[in-house]
Amino acid sequence: MGEHLTLLVRKLLTLTALVFCLATAVAQAANTQVQLLLSAGTAKAGDTVLAGVRLTMAPGWHTYWKNPGAAGKATEIKWQLPPGVTAGDIQWPLPKKLPPLEVTTYAYEEEVVLLVPLKLDSSLSPGPLNLAAKVSWLECKDSCIPAAGDAQASLDIGPETKASSDAITLEAWQAKVPVTAKTFNAQALWQKPAGGDDRPLLFELDWPAPGDTPTHTTADFFPAASDSFEIEADVTNVLNSANEIEFTKPVKKFSGDWPKEVSGVLVLDDKAYELEMPVTDMSAVVPGGTIAATPPPPPVSLWQMLLYAFIGGLILNIMPCVLPVIALKILGFVSEAKNNAAHVRKLGLIYTAGVLLSFLALAALVISVKLAGHKAGWGMQFGSPIFLVCLTTLVTLVALNLFGVFEVTLGGGTLDKAGDLASRPGAAGAFFNGILATILATPCTAPFLGVALGFAFTQPSSILVLMFLAVGTGLAAPYLLLSLNPAWLKFLPKPGVWMEKFKIAMGFPMLATVVWLLSIASSSYGKNVVWLGVFLVFVATAMWVFGEFAQRGRKNKGIAALVALGIFICGYVFALENQLHWRKPEVSGEAGIENTATSNGLWAAWSPEAVTAARVSGKPVIVDFTADWCLTCRVNKQTSIDIDSVSNKLKAIGAVAFNGDYTHFPDSITAELNRYNRAGVPLVLVYPADTNAPPIVLPEVLTPGIVMEALNKVTK
Amino acid sequence: MKKTFALLAALTLATSLFAVEIGKPAPDFTGTDINGKTVKLSDYKGKIVVIESYNSDCPFCHNQYNSGAAQELQKDLAGKGVVWLLVNSVNVKNSSHRTTAQAQQEWTDLKINATAWIDDTAGTIGYLYDMRTTPHVFVIAADGNLAYNGAMDNRPEPFGDPRTAKNYVRAAVDELLAGKPVTITQTKPYGCSVHY
Repeated sequence: MGEHLTLLVRKLLTLTALVFCLATAVAQAANTQVQLLLSAGTAKAGDTVLAGVRLTMAPGWHTYWKNPGAAGKATEIKWQLPPGVTAGDIQWPLPKKLPPLEVTTYAYEEEVVLLVPLKLDSSLSPGPLNLAAKVSWLECKDSCIPAAGDAQASLDIGPETKASSDAITLEAWQAKVPVTAKTFNAQALWQKPAGGDDRPLLFELDWPAPGDTPTHTTADFFPAASDSFEIEADVTNVLNSANEIEFTKPVKKFSGDWPKEVSGVLVLDDKAYELEMPVTDMSAVVPGGTIAATPPPPPVSLWQMLLYAFIGGLILNIMPCVLPVIALKILGFVSEAKNNAAHVRKLGLIYTAGVLLSFLALAALVISVKLAGHKAGWGMQFGSPIFLVCLTTLVTLVALNLFGVFEVTLGGGTLDKAGDLASRPGAAGAFFNGILATILATPCTAPFLGVALGFAFTQPSSILVLMFLAVGTGLAAPYLLLSLNPAWLKFLPKPGVWMEKFKIAMGFPMLATVVWLLSIASSSYGKNVVWLGVFLVFVATAMWVFGEFAQRGRKNKGIAALVALGIFICGYVFALENQLHWRKPEVSGEAGIENTATSNGLWAAWSPEAVTAARVSGKPVIVDFTADWCLTCRVNKQTSIDIDSVSNKLKAIGAVAFNGDYTHFPDSITAELNRYNRAGVPLVLVYPADTNAPPIVLPEVLTPGIVMEALNKVTK
Repeated sequence: MKKTFALLAALTLATSLFAVEIGKPAPDFTGTDINGKTVKLSDYKGKIVVIESYNSDCPFCHNQYNSGAAQELQKDLAGKGVVWLLVNSVNVKNSSHRTTAQAQQEWTDLKINATAWIDDTAGTIGYLYDMRTTPHVFVIAADGNLAYNGAMDNRPEPFGDPRTAKNYVRAAVDELLAGKPVTITQTKPYGCSVHY
C-alpha cells in the first residue's frame, strides 16, 4: 500500500514538473513568434491551399531544419483541422549550415516559412473554416529552449479561390524549397572499405548536356535525417568542372549496416535539389582481409589509379606467369653487360617500347570488343582456343631457341658463332621479349592491379589507354631502370661459356609454361589436347632440321629448309586440322565447371540464382571465381581454400560454396566481376547470412588466415 | 589564442591518436572536479565508468535531471559499483557556463548522484571523446575498453518522462555486469551542441 502511494506521489510530482516545465517553455517563447499564413482568403472546395507556418526569431536565435544535424530538434507541426481539410507534408526551405564544424546543425535564422499544402475536400460546404496548428520547436542561441505556440487562420469556402495578400510571401518561400531535378546524374561511392565507423563518401554529379550546368562556386550536400548514420558537414576535395561536380564528405555510422542509398539536398550556391542516390562501394576491390592495413587514401583520382596501375604492373614481374620471361631478361642483361652504356640503354628502351606497344594493342582489342557491344575482361584472349594454340607454339619455339636447336636471325644474315649471339642481342630480340612479357602477363592479376583494371574497364577509351600504358610502364620499369644505370649491373658475371649453359637451363621454365598453356587449352579441347602436343613434336622436329641443316649446315641448305617446312605442314594438317579441329573445338562452351569443383562435394556451380536461393535460406555463402588460365586462382585454391581447416569451417557454419568458372568468359560472370569493380579473376566473395549485408571481397592473393577471418566475420 | 591552440591540439589528438572506438581502450584523462579534487580515469580501472557530457541548461539534459530519471539511474548504478562522471565542457563565455560555486549549488539543488562533476571548460575531455551533444554518454567496461557510445536513451525529447524510454546506459551496464556482450554499442547522440 505504502509503495503504491509513493508511486502515486512520484507520478504526481513528475506531472507537476512536466506542466511547470511546459509552462515556462511557452512563456519563454518570446524569442520566436509563430504565425499561420494562407495563400488564399477564399477557396473553392476541392482546391488545394498553401499554408505557411512562419517562425520569426529574435536576433541570434535559430530553429531547425527537418534534419537538425548533429544537435537540435526539427520543428513539429500538429494540425487541428476541421473535417474535409487534410494537411500534406512540410516543404522545408533550404536551411543554413551553422558552425561549429564538429557539431554542425542545419537551421534557420531570423525568419522561415514552413510550407504545407492543405487539400480541401470537394464536399466542403461554403462558409468560414478555422484552421489551427500547434507548432513546437527548439530555439537556440548560446543555449537552447524548447518552445511551442499556437497559430491559426480562417479560410472561407466560396465559389472560387482568391489569392490572399500573403500569397506572394508564400511563393517567395516556395522558391527556396529544394526542387527535384532530373537534369543530372548523381551517385555516391564509398572510398574506403567498411571497417571502423568512419568512412569517406564521394559524391559524383554529372550533366549529360554540358549546357545545363548551373553556374555555381560551392557545392554541398545536406543529408536527410537518419538514426543509424550521419553524413557529416565537412566538404573536401571539391572538383568543379564544366559538366561534373565531385566532393567528399565523411560519414559516421552509429548502428547497423552502412547505407546503400542516401537522400538529401544537393546545394549549389543557393540553389537546392532534392536527391536520392545509390551508394556503390568503390573500395570493394580493396582487399578486405589482413592486407587492408594499407587502404588507399580517400580521393579516387585518376592519378591515384594510374599509380595503382603502375605498381600493379611492377608486381606483375614477380607473378608466376611472367617469371619465365624474367629468365630471358636476365640472359639479355648478362650478354649486354659488356656492351657500352648507350647500347644497353637503347635495348632497355626498345624492350619498353615492345611492352608499351603490346599494351596499346591490348587496349585497342578491349576497346573494339567493348564498342562491338560485348563485355571485355582482362586476359580475355586466353579464353580463345586459337590464341592458345598460337601462344603454345610460340612459347615452344622460344624454348627450342634457348636450347639452341635453332637461331633467331631477324637481323638478317646467319649467325655462325655462338659469340655473335652475345655481342648482337639485337633490337628485335628485346622488342620480342617485351611482347612476350605482356602476353604472358595478362592472365595474371596482382595486388593493386585488380583495383586499377576494375577502374580502367569502366572508363572512356582515352583513360583506358592511359591506364594500360601505366601498367606497361610498371612492367617494364625494373629493366628500363637497370638499363639506364648499367653500373648497377656490375654484380653480374662476365659473359663466357657459362652463358650457353645458362641459356639452355632457362629453356626449362619455358617448357613449364608450355605445360601450363596446354592445361588451359585442355578446357577447350578436352582430351584432344594431346594432338596439340603431337603438333608441338612436329614443330620441334622441323625446327631441329631447320637449325641443324639449314642454318648451320654446309650444303643443300635450301633443301633442308624445304624439308623443315614440309614436316611443319604435315604436323599442322595431321594434328591440328584433322585431329584437333583446332579452329572449331568440339569440347567447348560452358563445360569445365566440373574440373574446378572439388572432390569433397562442398562446391557447386555458381549462378546468380543459386546464390540468391542460398542466401534467402539464411546461410552464409562463399563464391570463388576462377579460370583454368588463372595461376593465382589455382595457387589460392590450393593454399587457402581447398584446405581442411577451411572445408571444416564451411561445414561447421553451414555455408554454401559456389565455384564460378571464368575460363570461357561467360557474360554472367563478367557482369558479376564488374559489379565488384574487377576486370578479371581471382575474385572471392564471402556473403554474411544477413541478406542485407554486402559480401566481403577478399584480396587477390590469399592466405588461409584471410579466408578464415572472413568466415569468422560473417558468422559473428 | 592559447585556447584556440589547445582546442586544435585536442582536436587533432582526438581525431588521430585517441579516436574513441568500441572495444578499444577508452583514452585516459585527468581533470579537476568542482570540489578541486583531481579525477583520473585510469584510477577507476576495474570498475564500470559512465561518462556523460553534461549541461543542464540544455533542455534534453535538463529533462533527464528535472524528471529525476538521471539521478535515479545514477543512484541505482552506484549501488552496483558503477562510477558516473559528468563532464561539463561549456566554455566560460557561454551563458550556460557554471562557476565553481554555481556548479556546487546545482549539484545540491538537483540532488545529483554522480561520482564527480568534472570542469572541462577548455573542452579537452570533450574533444578527446568527440562529445557531440549534451547529453552524450559513454560506458567504459571494467577492463578499460569502451563498451557504449551515444545517446542516453531512445527518446530524443526535451519533455516527458525519460523512464518510459529504453535507457542505453542501463542496458549496457546490466549486460556488462551479467558478463554478456553489450547488444547496442553505438547510437546517434541527440541534444544540444556542447558549446565548446
